[in-house]
Amino acid sequence: MTINATILSWVTFVYFGSSIFYLFRTVTGREFWGPLASLVAFVGLIAQTFALILRWVESYKLGIGHAPLSNLYESLIFFAWATVLLYLIIEWRIKSRSLGAFVIPFAFLAMAYASFSPHVNSRIQPLIPALQSNWLISHVLTCFFGYAAFTIACGLGLMYLLKGLGEAGGSRPFLRLLPGREILDELSYHSIVIGFIFLTLGIITGSVWAYSAWGSYWSWDPKETWSLITWLIYAAMLHSRFVRGWRGKRMAIMSIIGFGSVLFTYFGVNYLPGLHSYF
Amino acid sequence: MKHTILSLFSSPKLTISLLIIIAVASIVGTIIPQQYDGGESLRHLSPGLIEAFKSLQLFDMYHSAWFIILMCLLSLNLIACSLNRFPTSWRLFKKTPSPDRSKPFDDLPPERTLTIGRRLDQAIRRVEDLLRRRYKRVRRKDTPKTTFFYGEKGAYSHFGVYIIHASILIVIAGAVIGSLLGFEAFVNIPEGESANVVSLTRQKGSKELDFTVRCDAFSIAYYDNGMPKEYRSHLSFLKDNEIVYQGPLLVNHPITFHGIRFYQASYGTIPGGQAYLSIQQGDGRKTTIPVKLRDSFYLKEHDARVTIERIEDNLMSMGPAVLLSIQSAQGNMSLWIFKEIERITEGIPWLLERVPKFNPGLFQPYYFKLDKIENKYYTGLQLSRDPGVSIVAIGALFIVVGFFITFFSSHKRVWVRLDEQQGGTRIMVSATSNRDPVGLKRETEHLLKHLKEAEVAV
Repeated sequence: MTINATILSWVTFVYFGSSIFYLFRTVTGREFWGPLASLVAFVGLIAQTFALILRWVESYKLGIGHAPLSNLYESLIFFAWATVLLYLIIEWRIKSRSLGAFVIPFAFLAMAYASFSPHVNSRIQPLIPALQSNWLISHVLTCFFGYAAFTIACGLGLMYLLKGLGEAGGSRPFLRLLPGREILDELSYHSIVIGFIFLTLGIITGSVWAYSAWGSYWSWDPKETWSLITWLIYAAMLHSRFVRGWRGKRMAIMSIIGFGSVLFTYFGVNYLPGLHSYF
Repeated sequence: MKHTILSLFSSPKLTISLLIIIAVASIVGTIIPQQYDGGESLRHLSPGLIEAFKSLQLFDMYHSAWFIILMCLLSLNLIACSLNRFPTSWRLFKKTPSPDRSKPFDDLPPERTLTIGRRLDQAIRRVEDLLRRRYKRVRRKDTPKTTFFYGEKGAYSHFGVYIIHASILIVIAGAVIGSLLGFEAFVNIPEGESANVVSLTRQKGSKELDFTVRCDAFSIAYYDNGMPKEYRSHLSFLKDNEIVYQGPLLVNHPITFHGIRFYQASYGTIPGGQAYLSIQQGDGRKTTIPVKLRDSFYLKEHDARVTIERIEDNLMSMGPAVLLSIQSAQGNMSLWIFKEIERITEGIPWLLERVPKFNPGLFQPYYFKLDKIENKYYTGLQLSRDPGVSIVAIGALFIVVGFFITFFSSHKRVWVRLDEQQGGTRIMVSATSNRDPVGLKRETEHLLKHLKEAEVAV
């Protein structure tokens, strides 16, 4: 294993530690674990950023230089990176650590899948002709920031439902630190908007790329179609909020459904025949 | 009547239902193989079900009549909703409410009221200064002991949603124009050969181009680990047998010629490239020469001219073979030279007697042998002409613009009321916004903080 992959497999454990600390904080209801969890997540993010840069440089040393966004392994790593980055920004902005227990585990799972699954190859590979495009970076960047924002919305949805359960069954100590439902609802709306904009940009950059690589900006390839399905689900969500005034529990459930569609767009599509076979 | 149709199509429930129905239909389209040709994947289904799928156009679902109807309904719904709501938005944009309304100050939370130890005229200056810096369309109304201010900004945010919806319609229009006036096609051209007829992908059938494309060469480059690095076709575009344009075609780098874009889509091999022919003379001397289709060479004895008529990868299941046409003083003859002649004659010992034209030693004193044939590449080109692309691109651009207006701007309106009181001025601040309550709260608090600071500064 190369150095960057070694660092990245260690980052997996760092995010695991951070997830555990965030969970401790939520379950015990003691703030003590919070700063520790944040610090560990931050250290993980720094190390991961370093490893990504290292991987980029290494690819140039191999004479096949390209941004580390070119296969399933690299996309999983970038997905985890974007999720943690976005999460830490939100944590810093809203001054609350409750969301960590619902988001950092996703980053850990993505890293663990990338680092330890026998089906995911961590070697730096050269770019096949179809991927040799300037659109690679902007397409992958926008798509995965979108996925990261939807992950956070899903975490918020889970938290909202858990809080609802807790309140229904009498106030339990471990839910004491969770923020109010209105704040959760507002935050989840903002994450969905961010995700929706990034997904739209991802679809647009993908179409531009497809127009120069495959001969058509839209060819109903399963990945394209599933990204449209995801887009339609979130569009329906935003409309039900704007026009029908849906809030709270319904939105929480829909953000979990939307995330299911994101996961299928990311992984499930690989089981369907199509052009997007690189990720 | 017109009104009923409009209200029927402008229901937001219809929008949400349509979005979900289109999403579900699209899911079906990714599960059922599109452009199904009766292959393996659906063999386990009963023929009746496959017929049912066919009649529902599920094998070309995204171009089926009912999917297009769904898209039309969505477009109608978009138009109806926009027409229905636009007048309200226009009023909200145009209308400037009078500053001295009392309603905004009903039930005002106590933290939105502030008393500062300054005279009314000083406070007015301060407030006006602040509002003019932060808001547009600031209005003021004075009464003897009270002054009212109204300010607003971001009124344009009411139009974001119309920009998005109009842009989506533009994208759909561009797609329709593309599918009606454009075409997609493909053609395979072997190295060294030309084509001016291409097969249409969707409409079936073929199309004749008003120019000719020639594939001069095709090459593949590999990385050290064996992964493909580059597919490259050298193409010449000819009109009236004259080369108008020549250049390499690579993946991700299409060539546009006469409004048609050419893409490097695939490649393959076909026999007929190069053959290696051994010729043994009467004295036992042996020479091997590389030959291509329609190449000729001379044989000294008999003053014979040999031409390569055909190169076959697998002739009559007997392996690679070349057809030689030999012209000499003795007359003309044709000879098939097989690569695996020994193996063939082992299996069919009588073959050479019965079919003398398979006999490699027929043209004495020469004995021919085919050492090997090399395949040659063909390049698989995809062609497309899509006059709707620029329209789709403009639509996509404005969707993004509309998003930024819709999601990141809001129409903020603020009313400020100043009342003269003993030894000071009471200031009340009330604000509303069509969106973004958090941003509004932050901004109102900011405003109050600035007014308070003015007090400290005294």
